[in-house]
Amino acid sequence: MQSNPDARVDNADAESNLTSVEVSLIDDWQNFRDDDVMQQQSDIQAVESEKIPFVGDKEPLSSLADEYKTGSPILLEKIKILNEQYAAIRRTRGDGNCFFRSFMFAYLEHIMESQDKAEADRIKANVEQCRLTLQKLGYTEFTFEDFFALFLEQLDDVIQGSDASISHDELVQRSRDQSVSDYVVMFFRFVTSSEVQKRSDFFEPFIQGLTSASVQQFCKTAVEPMGEESDHVHITALSDALGVPIRVVYLDRSSCDNGSVSVNHHDFAPAGNDQPSAQNGSLEAISPFITLLYRPGHYDILYSK
Amino acid sequence: MQQSRARLFKEYKEVQREKSADPDIQLVCDDSNIFKWNALIKGPSETPFEGGVFQLAFSVPEQYPLQPPQVRFLTKIFHPNVHFKTGEICLDILKNAWSPAWTLQSVCRAIIALMAHPEPDSPLNCDSGNLLRSGDIRGYQSMARMYTRLAAMPKKG
Repeated sequence: MQSNPDARVDNADAESNLTSVEVSLIDDWQNFRDDDVMQQQSDIQAVESEKIPFVGDKEPLSSLADEYKTGSPILLEKIKILNEQYAAIRRTRGDGNCFFRSFMFAYLEHIMESQDKAEADRIKANVEQCRLTLQKLGYTEFTFEDFFALFLEQLDDVIQGSDASISHDELVQRSRDQSVSDYVVMFFRFVTSSEVQKRSDFFEPFIQGLTSASVQQFCKTAVEPMGEESDHVHITALSDALGVPIRVVYLDRSSCDNGSVSVNHHDFAPAGNDQPSAQNGSLEAISPFITLLYRPGHYDILYSK
Repeated sequence: MQQSRARLFKEYKEVQREKSADPDIQLVCDDSNIFKWNALIKGPSETPFEGGVFQLAFSVPEQYPLQPPQVRFLTKIFHPNVHFKTGEICLDILKNAWSPAWTLQSVCRAIIALMAHPEPDSPLNCDSGNLLRSGDIRGYQSMARMYTRLAAMPKKG
């Protein structure tokens, strides 16, 4: 795994702060039962969900600058640099699933716009491998098959020319529909978990850097449950499992010692990539078609110019 | 709704097929409502719950399996992670560590494991948790065994 020293992947827990503040306001919280706490959590989520859909509309990059108008000069400087390369941003809801949700939309949108049937067939073969891995790991088929089926259905539907083909508007609608969107997110969680467990020797040291949990325990508590945030381990595993390179652009307040400002990015290039371009080992040769903007604790989708 | 129903139906078929696979768990779906289930679980051996049979009630939400089932003990039990009055269970997989990889059957197995390995640091039953935390194993086991006899075993004669 390539690691960018400047990359802030410490998974600042922006979303859960809200919960902890709420709880600390209540003096006699011991009187609250778990049901109440869960009820409160889902109330908070309901309020949040009114602010932004699972997947937002495409917005010009200037909307990002507006957000930081009175903010750190370093951030404003970096947004200016982003402006040279990127045209637009599509926000996702900060519900802990933002990485998977961003990946879902960016990938399906890419297939829809490119109509790249070869890529769709390629990923299907990888998905089949993940299915076999989960079986080998002892997962009961019926616990994950619905999630796999729903993703494959979306993949087929974005390819035009069949009765089930959907428009771009319909893709946006489905990404906002919980019964599709959350199922596809869950599909990616299963895929990620299967890859981490399949290559547990490789992932173990990285997981030990994050938590004291075993690889399996990590998958059970930090990968498979909905709402658990993603870290470089998740991104590496998903990119490897599906063979899809991902570029993550980092927008944080880090700067160079000499005061100059640049925007870092990191390319997650699939291990064992069978594309000829990767064989020379040069990262430059890979051009990810998925670019995500990372701000500590959150991922959104970026669009190149 | 449709998705949860379809999933529960798969679990129902699995339970029918594997009926004898796990003699410690008897999971039954309500005749008229697939979102309501009941289970009888055997208290694990070498614990104060040995010899007892405990009834669990499952209420499955429409968002299942994205959201966990609600489970509680109907049989009175003295255990740090079970609310003494309501039977509510404190178990991570029923809350934030839930994932669709779990099933009603595997939740039963996790509850049996919890009976054998209480977590006194996150108690719902503070009396029970305090006994364990203060190291009074004998006191804990006596109380737990007494309630097992009173509530989870057939009455004699």
